[in-house]
Amino acid sequence: MGLVFAQAPAPQAAASAVLTVTGDVATPLMLTADDLMKMPRETASVPEQDGTKVEYEGVPLREVLKRAGAPLGGQLRGKALASYVLAKAHDGYQVVFALGEVDAAFANEQILVADKRDGKPLFGYQGPFRLVCPNDKAGARSVRMLETLELVRLQK
Amino acid sequence: MKLAVPLLAFAFAVPLAMAAEPDRAGDYQWNLPKGFPKPYVPADNPMTTAKVELGRHLFYDARMSVNGKESCATCHKQELAFTDGRAVGQGSTGELHSRSAMSLVNVAYSGALTWSDPELKSLEKQALTPMFGEHPVELGLREGDSFLPMLRADAKYRLLFERAFPTDSDRFTVLNVTKALASFERSIISARSPYDRYHYGGDDGAVSDSAKRGEILFFNQHLACFRCHGGFAFTDATVSERSAGRPVEFHNTGLYNLAGLLSYPEPNVGIFEYTKQPGDVGKFKAPTLRNIALTAPYMHDGSIPNLEGVLDHYAAGGRAHDNPNKDALVGGFVLSARDRQDLIAFLNSLTDDAVIHDPNFRNPWPGSP
Repeated sequence: MGLVFAQAPAPQAAASAVLTVTGDVATPLMLTADDLMKMPRETASVPEQDGTKVEYEGVPLREVLKRAGAPLGGQLRGKALASYVLAKAHDGYQVVFALGEVDAAFANEQILVADKRDGKPLFGYQGPFRLVCPNDKAGARSVRMLETLELVRLQK
Repeated sequence: MKLAVPLLAFAFAVPLAMAAEPDRAGDYQWNLPKGFPKPYVPADNPMTTAKVELGRHLFYDARMSVNGKESCATCHKQELAFTDGRAVGQGSTGELHSRSAMSLVNVAYSGALTWSDPELKSLEKQALTPMFGEHPVELGLREGDSFLPMLRADAKYRLLFERAFPTDSDRFTVLNVTKALASFERSIISARSPYDRYHYGGDDGAVSDSAKRGEILFFNQHLACFRCHGGFAFTDATVSERSAGRPVEFHNTGLYNLAGLLSYPEPNVGIFEYTKQPGDVGKFKAPTLRNIALTAPYMHDGSIPNLEGVLDHYAAGGRAHDNPNKDALVGGFVLSARDRQDLIAFLNSLTDDAVIHDPNFRNPWPGSP
């Protein structure tokens, strides 16, 4: 029997301690946990399976993108509306968010780039950074071990 | 990586001392760690400490078998996380079961019982199979045999049944036996492993650095272990009081690919046995990985002797990777020697010494260890 499947590459253990913001942004960033601590911060409560709430803390995704010069606020119009953020995890997992999801004038979703859970830094397979999407019904976009946010503008 | 079911924990003690007085329905104190949801319990069999205690005595009673030597604990030994260490179970007449005895740890959260019966969701109903089943014979009991009169004639059981079923006019029934057994089984909760202390309890020194690396590998999307063995119970077949009735998924992992109509050796054809849909051949439940180091040999038929062999199986994308029903998640991966050690260290960190030594789950009969 020949191998008919594509084997995945050997994984690496720990995620990077730096969050990279790249792509079609005016100011690419490499943010550390200390950098995130100096930015506007919010908390989000997410229910556990037992009904209790876990509190995640971090920086709103829109604030991270704003700092990188992504077209938000008054700039989010016309062709800029055809833009999305590609969130990449340490293990290659990827999800996307439209800029309109996070902008205050549109969906204004509270999506957090979290670095703390119940007051403690994220560790192990969750951290050091992750996304938390409190209003998503499923958890699949709450990317663990987040390493990169890449802005893609489909029309320029 | 997507959000795995989050979970906090922790330290708890299971108080199952026999009640001095009859228990009120539903008085049982679960004392679950944070993050563990309350298990689903059927309305007609609320948990009581008295029923749990009666169930423990029945579970370990060798008189509950045709040869007077076997009990539920023959195939579900506490020291082996309530498995038996055998590839397949062996009944009281010596007849071999076709499949491996499953762990009873955290079975209260199991959305489907046994390896591959999607409709068997009641522990009370399941207990009838080892008691009375003939294909194969397990305990070998028969209704009409002397086990109910034996229970009625035993002074200890008279007290235990009175406490467990105080309002029943006839307490010594098969139904009450199954209710008590199910209550005891539901009480066997495992949440005190080194991994729990590390991940949910915040004790950074509870596990080795190797186990920490192994955890990250386990939750890596390329390996995808967590996709079927995720959540607080490390299985995707989990239900609770808040999610009773949640559908359970079954998976073909590419263990076999025999020529002919059925690609898996009979009688272990997975949920096809019940659904009769060809695409279901070889689909089995993903068992919990808690205490997995204690439950060798592995897979539904015990055909893989150790955890290293299980890693080989999944790294190869299934040892019979061309089975047409194989789950797409079993795609194969490459592991370094250190990765393998790390994954094994992580799996070992799920061993809960507390549950295998907990006196509340121990054989209560005199002379037992």
